[in-house]
Amino acid sequence: MLGFRVRVPVLVPVSRSSSSASGADRPGSGSGFAAAFDLQAEIQREAESAAAGSSGSVPGQQDSFASLLRRSPLVQMGPVRDQLVVGRVFHVVQDDLYIDFGGKFHCVCPRPAGGEALQRGSRVRLRLQDLELTARFLGASTDTTLLEAQAVLLGPLEGRDNQNQNQN
Amino acid sequence: MAARALTRGLLGLRHSRAVTLGYSCGGQQQHYANAASIKSPQTEDITEKVINQSLEKPDFFRLSELFSLKELFDARVHLGHKKGCRHRLMEPYLYGCRLDHDIIDLDQTMEHLQQALNFTAHVAYRGGVILFVSRRRQFGHLVENTAKDCGEYAHTRYWQGGLLTNAPIQYGPGVRLPDLIIFLSTLNNVFQQHVGIRDAAKMNIPTVGVVDSNCNPSLVTYPVPGNDDTPAAMELYCRLFKMTINRAKDKRRQMELLHSLSAPSKPSS
Repeated sequence: MLGFRVRVPVLVPVSRSSSSASGADRPGSGSGFAAAFDLQAEIQREAESAAAGSSGSVPGQQDSFASLLRRSPLVQMGPVRDQLVVGRVFHVVQDDLYIDFGGKFHCVCPRPAGGEALQRGSRVRLRLQDLELTARFLGASTDTTLLEAQAVLLGPLEGRDNQNQNQN
Repeated sequence: MAARALTRGLLGLRHSRAVTLGYSCGGQQQHYANAASIKSPQTEDITEKVINQSLEKPDFFRLSELFSLKELFDARVHLGHKKGCRHRLMEPYLYGCRLDHDIIDLDQTMEHLQQALNFTAHVAYRGGVILFVSRRRQFGHLVENTAKDCGEYAHTRYWQGGLLTNAPIQYGPGVRLPDLIIFLSTLNNVFQQHVGIRDAAKMNIPTVGVVDSNCNPSLVTYPVPGNDDTPAAMELYCRLFKMTINRAKDKRRQMELLHSLSAPSKPSS
């Protein structure tokens, strides 16, 4: 699976005889796993170097704009309607929360009934409706934009494991 | 005899009118001592050398190390408006349209940003007056702080009609106009092009402008296609311009010091 990147130093087997001694340090890894891991890492490196050679301008790392865009959460998300994302409150005006979720615009949601704990900096869960509220009115040549996104506030973010969701 | 006196009188009148016209156009050479005329030829040599040296290399201030594609991407510079808001003249700068949202081509943005920053640095190096303009109320404070931090000027309030075109009458004769205007957002609050872009073009003042996918880039001298709505992107631009201007000014001080130390008592030609 080339979906994830594993950045570990290259495992060079110095001598086969010491692998059993070093195998005691790493629980559950015998020579079979180590060999398989080496093989996979080598295949991955070869694939990366081949792809980097073909992508052209930037040597070494695959950070051309096209690849960055393709792998970005915004593009991977697909159609925006009813997608669940995590946002962060960056401004509060009485009962309105201005929430930034990594898109071009922020969204403004009214504070929910029991949401006194939601202040500046708190992370919330959102269901996105639209990334930018625009509409073409009669007689206009371009759309009128509200410079805001629209989302439904589901509640505060529970738990500490989901830190980096959709921060682009 | 009388005719000769009349013509002399008329000539005198025309001459004085020409003088006042020259005055109001900002021709400060005639009405107070020019700085160059006071300096000794030695300092003139140094200034000339310092300026010529800055033109030797294409990236004299090494501005390409200030930003990278990844940084621009993380600051969401590539996000444009929806397809319906697109300006026809921005189409060459767009990478494409994804589910009705325009994506700005960051490869082009990198080149344009490099040229814009290089030009800004050269203007600051020569002691030019730089004016930051943005009518976005959300970023007004940020722009004003940026201008304060690099010792230049900002205008983030209502733009009076004759600010550039009628300056000697509105602000007094002999006022110095900016040498560069940087627009951090080229639209005003009713989504029309900012008046300053047209006025700067009329007064021959070069402009640098961040143009989003709903802006008109045609009159801007150094357009930088990019997002102008997200706080992250605006902070990035402000930081880059501030660092560029500070770097250019520091370099100028450094070069003058270098030259004045290396040529202690040169005989004047």
